[in-house]
Amino acid sequence: MSPRLRRGERPFPPDERLPEPPRPAGLVLDARLHLLDRQVVDVRGDPVAIVDDVELEERDGRVVATDLLSGPVLATRVFGGRPPRSRWHRVAWRHVTEVGVVVRLGVRGETLDVLWVERWLREHVVGRVPGGRHDPE
Amino acid sequence: MKKFLAVALGVLTAIGGFVDIGDLVTNAVVGARFGMSLVWVVVVGVVGICLFAQMSGRVAAVSGRATFEIIRERLGPRVGGANLVASFLVTVLTLTAEIGGIALALELASSVERRLWIPFAGLAVWLVLWRVKFSVLENAAGLLGLALVGFAVALFQLGPDWGELVAQATRPQVPAGEPVPTYWYYAVALFGAAMTPYEVFFFSSGAREEKWTAKDLSVSRANVLIGFPLGGLLSVAIAGCAAVVLLPRGIDVSTLSEITLPVALAGGKVLLALVILGVVAATFGAALETALSTGYTLAQFFGWSWGKYHRPAQAARFHTAMAVAVLVGTLVLLTNVDPVAVTEYSVVFSAVALPLTYLPILVVANDREYMGDHVNGRATNALGLVYLVVILVASLAAIPLMIATGAGG
Repeated sequence: MSPRLRRGERPFPPDERLPEPPRPAGLVLDARLHLLDRQVVDVRGDPVAIVDDVELEERDGRVVATDLLSGPVLATRVFGGRPPRSRWHRVAWRHVTEVGVVVRLGVRGETLDVLWVERWLREHVVGRVPGGRHDPE
Repeated sequence: MKKFLAVALGVLTAIGGFVDIGDLVTNAVVGARFGMSLVWVVVVGVVGICLFAQMSGRVAAVSGRATFEIIRERLGPRVGGANLVASFLVTVLTLTAEIGGIALALELASSVERRLWIPFAGLAVWLVLWRVKFSVLENAAGLLGLALVGFAVALFQLGPDWGELVAQATRPQVPAGEPVPTYWYYAVALFGAAMTPYEVFFFSSGAREEKWTAKDLSVSRANVLIGFPLGGLLSVAIAGCAAVVLLPRGIDVSTLSEITLPVALAGGKVLLALVILGVVAATFGAALETALSTGYTLAQFFGWSWGKYHRPAQAARFHTAMAVAVLVGTLVLLTNVDPVAVTEYSVVFSAVALPLTYLPILVVANDREYMGDHVNGRATNALGLVYLVVILVASLAAIPLMIATGAGG
């Protein structure tokens, strides 16, 4: 989302003027505070991923959050750099229904690309071992 | 009545579940070398684990978030990631020690080489993780672990000079012939054994597994505040047995048979059998808890679906991670490392990793966004801060002491 912060540097200038909230005022979210590193759950409350990064796009001079990113992009927040766009795993912002202690989606996690590792392991490993599809007793 | 039963069951499992291979080995080693002069560390450790386990349980019950989700959210990916790496490695090391403990206890019971038992121990741990319900695995291991009460029975049967033991415990001094750094090295080890970080991951995630809400808080508080101190008494009994039997004879603890020697001496075969059963249950239970904790920490950091309340297929990455952790622990043991040595290192590295776990819990337990009205009171915070200082000192001192004393030499 942004270049790496130096140690001891604030993520914002101390005299930064915040944009005027739209009228009537809506919910103002701080992407760092309310989105990054929050758990994403699907419509049934099952965990989907953690918001590792947010993809922003400029539209008509305004910056719009288009997707939540997850997966390998996490490494870039630890070590810096930027993975090729083809490696980004996105969850479209339009699926988001609620931003609170967790970020809630309005769709089933099964339909999302970010869960491909989970699906692959289920189909090829865990689901094939005897007992893998039964309730624990 | 139902509530009373829930408390009673919880307390019993907390007692049985408190002692693991780390407590067993460290207390016996310390008892054999320093008598009762380090009992104060067990007391400090037990109060600490009560404080933070209760806090993390409360956070999980009220906010519905387990410890590691919060660590990531609060500390960001870099510090959280460093925390994950440290906690994960320590937990895998502890898991390895616990599987080794199961094998050692089975060797003692059967006279079959421990290396033959190791693969079976690993397999059994995995099978239980795979198929058995959370409440069953937690309660069964805890209740059978109560057999460790045999150590207390043995201590009474040995008929020691109680005045002497109490004097050693209440007026601690470094015994003649032991260097001072070694005394402090074992103090840190004992502290790490009592406060192992996995207990907090397990406790907070277990609260989610059993779907606790704010209503269950009083039950959980009773479990912790009664169960853990009684579990601590078992630890002291283990040290006491070693102090009475091993210390005067100059026997050093290097295997499980020395740890249980006082029991055999005092109570004969029957009591020994009981205690071995207790050791198997306690190490098996702790192996399950540590294996689950490896899955919990990874799943919570990366946002995977987790928990024993799912079928394995519904938490595929979680179950894969646990299976890999158990496999790694088993393979490490098959390289013929000494499980007792692994245990000694695991408790010291636990002490090193402690601040990483306990600081975020204290921070979040004060956050009204998560906790509402259930934030920490002043007394809890004051005690928490004092403990944070103690934990920090122990953590910083651990590695230098380890080098200076040659790991207890």
